[in-house]
Amino acid sequence: MTPGLPPLVLGNLRTRNRLASVLVAFFHRIKFLSLFSPINIIIRSNHAMMDLCASIPSSTAPVSAGTSATILCCMCAAPISPNPSNTCSSCLASTTDVTRGISTEATLHQCRGCSRWHQAEGKWIGCDLESRELMALCLVNVAGLKKKRNEEGGGRVRLVDAAWVWTEPHSMRLKIRLTIQREVTSGGAILQQSFVVTFVVRNQQCVECQAAFRQGTWKNLVQVRQRVGHKRTFLYLEQLILKHGAHRGCLSIETFRDGMDFYFPDKGKAARFMSFLEDVVPLKVKSSKKLIGTDDKSNVSNYKYTSLVEICTLCKDDLLYLPKEMARHIGNISRLVLVKNITNVIHVIDPLTGQTGTIESDAYWRDPFRPIITAARTRLTRYVVLGKEAVYLERNASRKGVSKKQRSKLASITSARESDLGTNDSTIVERSHLGYLMKGGDVCLGYDLRETQLVDDDAEDARMAGKFPDVVYVRKLYGGVASGDSDAARKRMFRLHRLKVKKGDDEEIGGGGRRGKKAKKDAETDHMDEEDFMQELEADRDMRARVNIYKSDVASKMERNNDEDDDDVNDEDEDDQKITLDELLDNLALDSKPDAIEDAAVQDAMTTSDEFSGYVEGARAAKDKIGYVGRDEALGVKAKETAFPVESNIWGEDFMHKNGK
Amino acid sequence: MATRVSFENSNEIGVFAALTNGYCLTGINRSENFYSVFESELGSHIPVIHATIAGCRFVGRTTAGNRRGLLVPNTATDVELAHLRNSLPDSVVVQRIEERLSALGNIIACNDHVALVHPDVDRETEDVISDVLGVEVFRQIVGGQALVGSYCKFSNHGGMVHPRTTVEDIEELSSLLQVPLVAGTVNRGSDVLGGGLIVNDWSSFVGLDTTSTEISVIENIFRLTGSGSSSGGGQRMGQGLQSNIVTNMRSSLIDQLS
Repeated sequence: MTPGLPPLVLGNLRTRNRLASVLVAFFHRIKFLSLFSPINIIIRSNHAMMDLCASIPSSTAPVSAGTSATILCCMCAAPISPNPSNTCSSCLASTTDVTRGISTEATLHQCRGCSRWHQAEGKWIGCDLESRELMALCLVNVAGLKKKRNEEGGGRVRLVDAAWVWTEPHSMRLKIRLTIQREVTSGGAILQQSFVVTFVVRNQQCVECQAAFRQGTWKNLVQVRQRVGHKRTFLYLEQLILKHGAHRGCLSIETFRDGMDFYFPDKGKAARFMSFLEDVVPLKVKSSKKLIGTDDKSNVSNYKYTSLVEICTLCKDDLLYLPKEMARHIGNISRLVLVKNITNVIHVIDPLTGQTGTIESDAYWRDPFRPIITAARTRLTRYVVLGKEAVYLERNASRKGVSKKQRSKLASITSARESDLGTNDSTIVERSHLGYLMKGGDVCLGYDLRETQLVDDDAEDARMAGKFPDVVYVRKLYGGVASGDSDAARKRMFRLHRLKVKKGDDEEIGGGGRRGKKAKKDAETDHMDEEDFMQELEADRDMRARVNIYKSDVASKMERNNDEDDDDVNDEDEDDQKITLDELLDNLALDSKPDAIEDAAVQDAMTTSDEFSGYVEGARAAKDKIGYVGRDEALGVKAKETAFPVESNIWGEDFMHKNGK
Repeated sequence: MATRVSFENSNEIGVFAALTNGYCLTGINRSENFYSVFESELGSHIPVIHATIAGCRFVGRTTAGNRRGLLVPNTATDVELAHLRNSLPDSVVVQRIEERLSALGNIIACNDHVALVHPDVDRETEDVISDVLGVEVFRQIVGGQALVGSYCKFSNHGGMVHPRTTVEDIEELSSLLQVPLVAGTVNRGSDVLGGGLIVNDWSSFVGLDTTSTEISVIENIFRLTGSGSSSGGGQRMGQGLQSNIVTNMRSSLIDQLS
C-alpha cells in the first residue's frame, strides 16, 4: 500500500463533498435528529451531485482533526467519547482491577541498634525516612509490581509515580502512594490507578549488631602479628584489605601493639582472608583449635580456631646485610641491600649497582634474619642533593646482572647532610639507585653508615673495614615534607580510607596514673607511623598502584586552578615516582554518615518529646523530589482511587507531561 | 432482532459468516451449532449455505456481496465456485476477482446500492464490484482505517462505523451512503464491527459478548426493532413512525434532486 494514497482519496472525497454540501445548502440543509438521542444521525441528501462531482479532478485538501463522535459506553449506555476500550471510566474501573496481583501490604525490617534497613540477603543499608533510597527499598518489596514477562493475567505494569504518605512516627508503618498504569484489554486500553501500599516496620537485629551484642559468636580468630617497632606494614595491609574488600564477612577487627586480630564467623571466611594475606605479604601460619563442646552421641564437636599469622619482620626500606649463602643464591648480589618492596616475596635492590633480587617467602622463613637498620625515623638522616653525575656500569658483577634500564638510573650523587649546611662544608659523593630521580636542591632520606653503630657483628666488621658506602639513599622527599613545612601532612593532595577497628585490650588498659601519659605517647607514635607511611606512598608509584588513594580537599582545589601546574610537570618529566592528580580517585563524602542525621533527629525527638522540631515532615521528600502527602491530606487518601483510562498509548507520557508543566 | 452467536468460542462471527438480503454463507464448523442458528433464523427466507474459500472457513472475510452478486477472491477453487453457483439462487452472480488484497470482506463494505472500498484496490476490481454488485463504488476510509469492510457495516437501512470516526466524517459518509450512520461498538467495546456484526435488512447476528446496550444501538440503527425473526423479510419490516418520516423525507429529496 502506498502511504500517500489514503489522504489523496480522502481529499478527493472531501472536495466532492464540499461542493456537494454547497449545493445541498442551496436546496436546504436538512438535519435530522433521531429519537434515540444522544446519537446524532445526520442525513443529507446529495444523491444527484455524485455524478457531477465525480469528474472533478482530485486535489489535496487539508485533513481536519474533526470532532470525535459520541458513542455509548458499551456497558451502561452513557454517552462518552471513544477510547480504546470504548467503555466509560466507571464501568472500566468496576470491571477491571488495575492493581490486581500487586500486594498492598509488605514488611520491612529495620535494625533497632543501627537504624539500618534490611535490603536483601543479609545486606543492610542506612537511609533516612522519606528518602529516595528508602523509597527504592520499599518499591522493591512491593510484590507484583515487577511482572514477569510471560506471566498470565494481562498487561505489563508501569509505575508512573510514587509518593510518601504521612504516617504517625511511632506507628511502625510506612505508607506510599503508587500510581500505576496497566494495559487492561487486548485493544490497548491503558488504565491508571493510584493506591496506597502500607509497610509494616519490624525489628530485626542486623548481623553486625548481633555480633556486637552476642559474645563468642566468632568461630575463627586470625591474629596477624609482625614483631617490629612500627605499624607501617599494618597501615599498608589495611589499605590492601580495603582495596580488595578482604575483610568481608569479618565480624570485628581489633588492633594491638604489634598486630591486628580479625574475627570471623566461620572457618571458610577466615581461610579466604588468610589466602588473601598470603598473596600480599610473606607470612607463616600457626593454627590451633580449642574444644568448646562436644556431642559424643552424634559425633559433633564445636571448636574455636585460632590462626596466628606471622608476617616477616622485613619492611620496605629496611637495610639488610644478607647471609652469604642467600646473597649468592639470589644472583650473587651484594650482601648490603635495601628492601625495595614487599609482596608475597621480598624484593631487594643493591643501592650501589641497581641490581635487584627476590627472596622467596619460604627461603626467608627457613632462615629468618633481621635487618641491620630498620627504616625508623630516628635512623634516617636528611640529605640535600648538591649535584649528580650519571653512572654507566660497563660490566656486571654477576651474569644475571642489572637491567639496562636500572643501570641507566644509577647516578653518583653529591650531597650534604641537611644539618651540616651552614656549619661545615663536608659533602659526600655516593652512588645511588635513586640517582635518576634526584636533582640539585632535592631533599632525600638516607642511612648514614659513617656514624651508625650496627648491632650485627658481621655487618659491623664489614663497616669498620670500609666495605660499606658512606650513605645509602632510601627515598626522595616530596612536597611540603621536603621543604620542611610544619603542616605538610595537611597539604597532602591525597588521603586514604581507614578500616573500622577497635582498640585491643592491651592497648586500652594501661596502668593507673600512667595511662594518660602512655596513651599520649602511643598516639604520637601512631601518628608518626602514619606520616612515614604516607611519605613512603608519596615516593613509590608501584606501591600507590596497589592501594586506593583518594583526592583530598587540596587536590580538588588544585584541580580547579590546575592551569598553573603545567610548567611543573614539564620540568620534572624524568621523575616518574611523583604523585599526580590522575592517580587519585574521587573521594566519597564520608564525612557524615547516613545515620548521623537520623541520630540527630532521634535525639531531637527525645529532647522535645512531642514535637519533632529538628525534623520537618516532607522536607527530606522535597529534597529528593519525591511526592509527599502531608499529615492533613493523609487522612483523605483512599486505599484505592478509581481507575481512569489514559488517552495516549504511550506509557506515562501524559503523567510526565502534566507534571512537567 | 439481533441474535447473539459465537463460532467455536470466538466472538468474531463476521469472520466465519457472510449475510446479505439474498443468501447467507457460513464457514464449516465441527459442530452444526453455528450453522443451525442461522438456519433457524433465516432458513425460511433465504438459502443458508456451508462454504469454504480456498479450503478455509473464514468465508466472511474473504467474500463480499449483496443480493445481486457475490465476489470471491482468486484463491477460491473451481469446485468451491461451482458449489456456490449451485447453491445460490440464479439471480445471484458469483464472480471471482483478481485482486491483490484478497480478503474482500475486509476491503469492501456494501449494501444493495453503495459500496465503500479500500483506497488501494485496482481500478478493474472497482469496475467488477460495481458491475457484479450493481453498486456505486467509493474509495473511502473510515475512522482513519483503510479496511472499510472491517471497521464499518451497513445495510440498506442504516450503518455503523468505527467509534473513532469524527462527526464530520460520519456526515460525509451518510451522505454518500444515503443511510443513517452511527459510531458504535460490538462485542463489549470492540471496534472491529465487520468481525463482530453481520446484518441484512431484517436480521442481524452479533458476537456473544455484545452487551444489551450495543444490541439496542444496533437494532435502532439497522431498524430491526419489532421485526421478529419470523417476519417475512424486508417487506414486512415493522417501521415505526420515525422510519416513515425518514423514508418519506428521503424519497421527497431524491425526487427533488433528480
